[in-house]
Amino acid sequence: MGYETLVVERRGPVGWLIFDRPQASNAMDATMLRELEAAWRELDRDPAVRVIVNTGNGSAFQTGLDVGQLARDKDALREQSRRTRDATLRLTAWHNEVWKPVIAAVNGVCAGGGLHFVADADIVIASSAATFLDPHTSIGQVSAYETIGLARKSPMEAITRMALVGRHERLDARRAYQLGILSQVVDPPEHLRDEAQALAEKIARNSPAAMAATKRALWRALELGLTDACRAGAGDLVSMWGHPDQAEGPSAFAGRRDPAWQLASGSGK
Amino acid sequence: MRYPELECLVLERRGPVGWLINNRPDQLNAMSAKMRDEFAVAWDVLDRDPEVRVIVHTGEGRAFQTGVDVTEIATDGVGMERYRQSVEDFDLHFTSWHQQVWKPVITAVNGICAGGGFHWVADADVVIAACDAQFFDPHVSIGQVVAVEAIGLLRKMPVEAVMRMAFVGRHERLPAARAYELGMISQVVDPPDRLRDEAQALAETIARNSPAAMAATKRALWGALELGLTDACRAGAKELVSMWGHPDQEEGPKAFAEKREPRWQPLAPGS
Repeated sequence: MGYETLVVERRGPVGWLIFDRPQASNAMDATMLRELEAAWRELDRDPAVRVIVNTGNGSAFQTGLDVGQLARDKDALREQSRRTRDATLRLTAWHNEVWKPVIAAVNGVCAGGGLHFVADADIVIASSAATFLDPHTSIGQVSAYETIGLARKSPMEAITRMALVGRHERLDARRAYQLGILSQVVDPPEHLRDEAQALAEKIARNSPAAMAATKRALWRALELGLTDACRAGAGDLVSMWGHPDQAEGPSAFAGRRDPAWQLASGSGK
Repeated sequence: MRYPELECLVLERRGPVGWLINNRPDQLNAMSAKMRDEFAVAWDVLDRDPEVRVIVHTGEGRAFQTGVDVTEIATDGVGMERYRQSVEDFDLHFTSWHQQVWKPVITAVNGICAGGGFHWVADADVVIAACDAQFFDPHVSIGQVVAVEAIGLLRKMPVEAVMRMAFVGRHERLPAARAYELGMISQVVDPPDRLRDEAQALAETIARNSPAAMAATKRALWGALELGLTDACRAGAKELVSMWGHPDQEEGPKAFAEKREPRWQPLAPGS
């Protein structure tokens, strides 16, 4: 399908979801909010897509809700306000229950609600030009979802500092790498997409079914105490026993050839 | 205390330190069914020996541990089915956490740590590594799910790094230096052949502390991974108070004032 505010495309086994409102620093207007749900669903359902990369066109990655539109036309964002209140957002891969691996490739500034896409990705890489900030409290808004997600995944002090300092300070890509918020800094910045594609192609060599079950186990672990999470994860582990990929993997390894995996698609629903 | 002779593991004591050494170097210390059974015994033996105050776990040869023995799985005609019941019930007995060992455990990663090898990184209290140690998780590259060991790790370190390892599989390795930056390990030993000496030194340092206080502390900290913050603090407060009235609580400040080493009570076996 066609999109106004996003670019959705395939490169080999990799699906790309690209924010495309560069003139507005890729801020989310009502159209983008609607289109995001459709785009994640489209890539999740396409069996040819094994890994998804999320990035932005222009100099920004994502800067959250379009405050300009919010000021001009409050009604356009009414539906989104309801979803925010009810915790039924559909912005990110996690919200949309996408069980394919998702890489966020942060190409520039990532601000406020843009942090949703960092918090909810499995893997995060960034160009050396990327910066991170959370201006919510500087414009009288509360920061919750995205910083809660990040605080689960990273050293917490860095996240509470970002939430409380607001727009008056930025975290750069190098520090985010040190903190383990991301795992790779790409320099020069223009190599970001090539590096993301290369990483995604490596991941695409692994069993789609095993990765989906692994992803379910690891994200669910963030919901539970350690023992309960391990117990639930053990269920995911055993769920693969008897799956053709379980025999194919070791057999391909022994035969020194690439495995022929079963295709999994639309595992989300 | 005499330790049993094991086929796949070596048990020994050096001063106050009990050593558990993976000893299938030709199989990169992969875990056979035999080794799996021996782990349960080995942890219990070291836990019960009152002379042992701290435990170090390492491997013989160029690998620390590389998960389940895939060759055995592929050729013994039983495969993973042997383990179905115990995994489904999450009734595992091969790490110190599984065996509820409340003495401090140091994992000293001497080389490759792959896949299931992460169980002993996730479940140790302290982790150090030789500078040439490498970490990777090939599960999804051979059509397997990774769950328990990665779940343990992501409680203890930045999550993104754990997820990247889980999904990249065998196509990338995490070097010891990056594991140190991420806080997955706390010490990188260079040159690598100094690893056991450094582990022994660290263990002896830890062995100078009160065994009873360390056991209660360990219970409080691992228990905290089960609970929300307030509940964890509340449960931790119980561990705190459990030491009040214990002789070590008098002996510690007294020895400090008298500038001498404290004489701690030995840990009651099975406590």
